[in-house]
Amino acid sequence: MTVLRPLAFALAVLVSLLAIADVVFAATFPSAPRLSENFSSAFVRLELARLRAQPPETIVLGDSVLWGYDVSARESVPALLERRGIRAANFAYQGGSPVNTYATLRAILASGVRPASVVFNVNQKTFNAADSAYSVVHPSMWELARPLFSSGDARLVTTPDDAQTLDARLDRTIARYWQLYAMRADLREALFGDVDAGHALDALLEGVTGAGARRRAAHRPKPSDFEGTYDLTPLDDSNVSAHFLKRTIALLAAERIPAIAILTPTNHTLLHAYVDGPEYAANLAYVRRSLARGGIVVIDADRAFGPDDFFDNDHLTAAASARLATRVARELARR
Amino acid sequence: MEETDHPAVPGSRDVAAVLRTDPLAALLGARLAHPVVLGCVLFALVVAAIVLGPSSESRFIYTDF
Repeated sequence: MTVLRPLAFALAVLVSLLAIADVVFAATFPSAPRLSENFSSAFVRLELARLRAQPPETIVLGDSVLWGYDVSARESVPALLERRGIRAANFAYQGGSPVNTYATLRAILASGVRPASVVFNVNQKTFNAADSAYSVVHPSMWELARPLFSSGDARLVTTPDDAQTLDARLDRTIARYWQLYAMRADLREALFGDVDAGHALDALLEGVTGAGARRRAAHRPKPSDFEGTYDLTPLDDSNVSAHFLKRTIALLAAERIPAIAILTPTNHTLLHAYVDGPEYAANLAYVRRSLARGGIVVIDADRAFGPDDFFDNDHLTAAASARLATRVARELARR
Repeated sequence: MEETDHPAVPGSRDVAAVLRTDPLAALLGARLAHPVVLGCVLFALVVAAIVLGPSSESRFIYTDF
């Protein structure tokens, strides 16, 4: 008994400190220029709450091309739009796809944030059923968007196998009541600029030894790396990405939100053997038609960039991102 | 009276002497026993575990080249 009382008191002190820390943490956690790889749904909620207070002119949705893969956050298209005087929020993320774009848009609108316009990209590779993001929504975004999906739409989404394990349920329950725990991935990213301290230390050592730079210099994407990346089967409504692209178009029309869709820049020199044919052109035309029918302005950047503008099949260098941002800014200014 | 080692623990005489004479050790010994300090130490440990723990959230697999 003499041991239990002080122990209970110590636990009460611990819980009180955690509760105070949680309030301070949520109030002071900084906004991020873009979503990290492992962003949490708690972080998205926090960002949306801030945007409700100060709605952005434009929300950018899509995949790693607009997120700014292999370029700094300052060199991503949304950040470059900001520099051109357009208040843009970057809600694109790595592994985006039409179903992810739709889920994010639903979550944003449901939170009460209403942007003056939306910019998103449509990447031809995501119409391939073999693409990792074809029918998979980022788990944190899925947590927010799942209640907003009709049962028919939800059936098209592939949910992770481990979503209902005891571990996953416990994790969700704790995260519901404990903000610091829920946002641990975002906190680590903010502190270390990486997924965790171990990876940050690795990156630091690679920087010191030059191993990272040597590996990047040796990494030269070959055409054969992309065999099977693009599926040239004619698109129709049975394609999950085509289905959710149309859902996005319909939602934007219903909400009367003007939108610009970018047909993702594609490295045709690198991918020539796999994409330069009438089937690819027909699928691109299908997407363009679907967007235009929904009243969405299309920036066709599919062939707008040369081989030196890419890191790989579709990710743009900083200079090319700046050119794309200029084009988007010009289109936004017209509206 | 001259101090001697505990029969089962060689060197225990030295440790006992340090604990009795080192003010820092005495202070820590007394403070750690206090529930408020213990609560603060537990709090620091929990926060450190969250901040420094390994990432286990990579559940979203995507392919980039």
